[in-house]
Amino acid sequence: MSRDRRIRRTPVLLSALIALILAIVPLPHVIDVLRPDFLVLVVYYWSIESPSSGGLTLAFFAGLAIDVIRGVVLGEHALALTLTAAWAIHLRLRVRVFSILQQSLTIFALLGAYQFILFWVDGATGYPVTVWSRWLAPIIGALLWPIVSGILSRLHER
Amino acid sequence: MVAFRSHEATGRPSGLLLRSALYTLLALGLIVLDKRYDQLGKIRRALSIVVYPVELAVSSPFEGYTWLRASVTTRDTLRAENAELQAKLRNARLRLQRYAALQAENQQLRALRASTAGVGPKFLVGDIMDVDIDAFRERVLVDKGARDGVYVGQAVLDAHGVFGQVQSVAERTCDVILISDATSAVPVMINRTGLRTIAVGSGDLGRLELPYLPTTTNVVKGDLLVTSGLGGVYPEGYPVGTVLDIKIDRVRSLAKVDVRSAARLDRSRVLLFVWPTPAAARAAARR
Repeated sequence: MSRDRRIRRTPVLLSALIALILAIVPLPHVIDVLRPDFLVLVVYYWSIESPSSGGLTLAFFAGLAIDVIRGVVLGEHALALTLTAAWAIHLRLRVRVFSILQQSLTIFALLGAYQFILFWVDGATGYPVTVWSRWLAPIIGALLWPIVSGILSRLHER
Repeated sequence: MVAFRSHEATGRPSGLLLRSALYTLLALGLIVLDKRYDQLGKIRRALSIVVYPVELAVSSPFEGYTWLRASVTTRDTLRAENAELQAKLRNARLRLQRYAALQAENQQLRALRASTAGVGPKFLVGDIMDVDIDAFRERVLVDKGARDGVYVGQAVLDAHGVFGQVQSVAERTCDVILISDATSAVPVMINRTGLRTIAVGSGDLGRLELPYLPTTTNVVKGDLLVTSGLGGVYPEGYPVGTVLDIKIDRVRSLAKVDVRSAARLDRSRVLLFVWPTPAAARAAARR
């Protein structure tokens, strides 16, 4: 049977809000480069677990929030997050039965695509960021996935 | 795109393809509108009101800690600080006397040249908010916005020199792009020789470069760079940085000059938004 049951909105919005706060908490510059995209991981989690309670709408507006906070061209993160969340929703039935290692690899691919779309939009709009350290984000995100998904699953599976 | 068509376990299509296409078009539309037509200032401002509480929630604990530490300092510390501040004030007053004389002289000279460029009497003080915007771009969030009259492209100074310019404005906050950001360029003048050039940000905090100087240029280590006032963004005559290092490669025709910013890009908390005098604004508009 489908596990696409509707999860209450509260944990979804709450986790997104906390992830948004974690995205801008000040850190020393060295660690700041390594900061994982918590909000992106949270969006992927809800996309995989319950697309009906967040899904693309959550992805789009979470992306828009990142755009506004970072002051980049509006729609950049919204585009990247919408496309990769759609991919995640498409893969969800498979991802759910994956082992945690396979899940992390999937997340790595999603985050890689996400980062590539950002890279492309950055370049297309005239602000190329070509530092190599931006490509660390998918690796760090994939490494953190077991922790993030563990915490989030506690949030709604009581 | 058939790959995107997914089916629920019940067998009915979820409309994922349609919805993702819709949101993708929406996002692309936003990007084009924002980039090409610059029409989204109001939307951005409205959205930033929604995000502002989050930013405030993040920055207030740090401000609270600073406040707490300031309120529990001992009497001795306060006394020492007071003495130090009074000494500084004495020095500043001494300098100010000279400044008044210099200003009078300057005004006379300017009257002679019939030009009145420079910073007007109007300025605004803003605090940097304790929020990390982006690890890869050098920008800060400041607690003054459209409400206070801040506008895009406005020059921002700190106590030591030119800090940056306003990149985008929200209702209560604004993004300031630092002069050492890789996309920033400041028209400067070498104070000693009067040579004009452009200081380009290096992407490294507090470092700039002068990429357009020929190897034969008269520039030495320690030269002070001030804004030349050309371009109309930065007011004239403010310190930008000092020359840190010059590498001359005989093979190339251009020298590689490293500059350390005068403004304390990594340590300043208080910034100054300046408005050009009406005359300078007119001159900039003419250019």
